[in-house]
Amino acid sequence: MRFAVCVKHAIDETELRIDSSGKPQLDGAAGKMSTFDKNAVEEALRLRSAQSGEVVAFTVGGPDARKTLKEALAMGADRGVIISADLLATDTLRTAELLAAAITKTGPYDVILCSEGSSDTYDGQVPPMLGELLGLPYAGYSRKIEVVGGSAKIERSLEDSVEAVESSLPLVASVVSEINEPRYPTLIQIMQSSMKPVEELNGEQLVQQGTHKQSSVVSMVAQTSSRKHVMIEGSPDEAASKLVEALVKEGVLPK
Amino acid sequence: MSVWVYSESEGISDEVASAALDISEPTSAGPSVIDIGQVRDGTHSAGDKLVLKGPPSTEPPPQVAAEAIFRAAKELRPASILIGATRNGREVASRLAAKLRVGCLSDAFKVSCDGQNLFAERNVYAGKVVAMVTCPLPSIATVKVGAYPRLGSTPKETREVDVGQIDSQVRVLRREKKVVGSVDLKSARVIVSAGRGVKKREDLAMLADLAKEMQGALGCSRPLSSDLGWLPEEHHIGLTGVTVKPDLYLAVGISGQLQHVAGMKDSKIVAAINTDKDAPIFQASDYGIVGDLYQVIPAIRRAFTSRG
Ligand SMILES: Cc1cc2nc3c(=O)[nH]c(=O)nc-3n(C[C@H](O)[C@H](O)[C@H](O)COP(=O)(O)OP(=O)(O)OC[C@H]3O[C@@H](n4cnc5c(N)ncnc54)[C@H](O)[C@@H]3O)c2cc1C
Ligand SMILES: Nc1ncnc2c1ncn2[C@@H]1O[C@H](COP(=O)(O)O)[C@@H](O)[C@H]1O
Repeated sequence: MRFAVCVKHAIDETELRIDSSGKPQLDGAAGKMSTFDKNAVEEALRLRSAQSGEVVAFTVGGPDARKTLKEALAMGADRGVIISADLLATDTLRTAELLAAAITKTGPYDVILCSEGSSDTYDGQVPPMLGELLGLPYAGYSRKIEVVGGSAKIERSLEDSVEAVESSLPLVASVVSEINEPRYPTLIQIMQSSMKPVEELNGEQLVQQGTHKQSSVVSMVAQTSSRKHVMIEGSPDEAASKLVEALVKEGVLPK
Repeated sequence: MSVWVYSESEGISDEVASAALDISEPTSAGPSVIDIGQVRDGTHSAGDKLVLKGPPSTEPPPQVAAEAIFRAAKELRPASILIGATRNGREVASRLAAKLRVGCLSDAFKVSCDGQNLFAERNVYAGKVVAMVTCPLPSIATVKVGAYPRLGSTPKETREVDVGQIDSQVRVLRREKKVVGSVDLKSARVIVSAGRGVKKREDLAMLADLAKEMQGALGCSRPLSSDLGWLPEEHHIGLTGVTVKPDLYLAVGISGQLQHVAGMKDSKIVAAINTDKDAPIFQASDYGIVGDLYQVIPAIRRAFTSRG
């Protein structure tokens, strides 16, 4: 069986610098594999080991996105495909169009995996768009995936319920973080990942611009917060009394 | 300007309807709230109601909802469609955008419109940054749950559109309720919130008791509801959960990662208890106690019940 997994080279929010005017410095900002995409890679590897076959990792992004692709290869994916695009000028629908075209070009695949949402923008849009554009069955927010023969049984995690669904293959699914515990690649795996094949596709040639009017960013400003930062010392009982006293003074405790 | 509103949840549909008032001109008919299959009694509208007939269910799978709205939109051409940003709602919106080939803004806590473009304010980079994003009309946006008040008035008019039979590619075998929550975090004045510092599920009782004594509610970080399944998903606070603004937010054994803080940063007063003096939660707190929750929480309960 063939598995496709979509991994985004996301802006690392922990490293993102804010300049003196309160704007995030996106030029040259550090990136990392979108956090939950590690769960998607892990799930593809888990399904491959149960079914045998091949895992191909896809990323849409600039030259830096190779790092994320390499990480997927180090975790155990067999091959990588990078589709060139400037992510800051590529909206979710265009990203999904590029992924759909690359998946069709290098396919067919039995299962196509994404995560529920990317760690930098958390749109949660690319996976269902991919299902729609490919015309395949789609299961979002999957917390358990079982492939038996030509079909899949999936548990979807919704806000207040768990929904068990069944679908034929091929299928597109997004996973939630609790589906598995992503593995850490070993040093040897990291070294060997450079030897695995990576195919490069030109985004502009793959899908022409202008299929729709893209969404874009108008402005960005960093969140500011002003808190009192009072650290309360003493034994648990002393600290607790002082805290309760302070909260009473603030008027935030019921009478 | 015609604005359509949809959510599979009646309550959230009323929230999205009030967001729609921000972009439909006051003189126009106002937003149309979509019902699929049949009229839902619970949903209200400042404008009219648009009932899509054809799909049998009142709670259609997201794929069916998207196709039904698409068919109606092709005919009636709304300028904008707003959808509640639930897990299923995000699928409906994304599919619609792909079908209509229009852009989709996500998780808006505020929407606006200049007649040509739709605008949305939203969190990005784990809540470190607020972005204003835009897309030329016609376009779609999902609206963050809890961001707008629920609108309640009777619809002026009910219109019906027959969209025909629609099938879903995935078959729902069964749906089971998760652990059921009894409290409404959004209206709670005090929230005691539990994180991974809590070692066992049973230990949550101690925090639930404190919350009750303070006439508040128990919330949690994402790992407790998602990975551990100790509390319902809608009790988790943050980027992927609910946004809360209580008078007092007491973070217990929560490290305070950006994604969590994004959901509670507008609380009036934040207090935190954590064994790690360098935990980032203290940067987001007014009052902090470095200590073991298993000692500090019982002490707070004693101090609270014996307060002067
Ligand atoms: C895209 C994305 C979205 C996310 N959305 C959310 C979200 O909406 N909400 C959310 O909460 N998280 C979210 N997360 C996860 C988030 O990044 C953190 O992993 C999570 O908030 C950590 O939860 P925690 O603080 O309970 O656990 P930990 O980070 O493990 O922290 C546990 C804390 O407990 C302290 N502790 C341990 N023992 C004790 C004790 N005995 N007494 C007192 N303190 C103790 C430790 O010092 C530590 O600080 C998201 C992540 C991503 C990538
Ligand atoms: N640029 C990208 N390259 C590859 N996969 C992506 C990209 N953007 C989004 N995805 C996939 O879609 C998921 C959800 O992304 P989003 O819709 O941006 O929240 C991610 O977790 C990835 O699996």
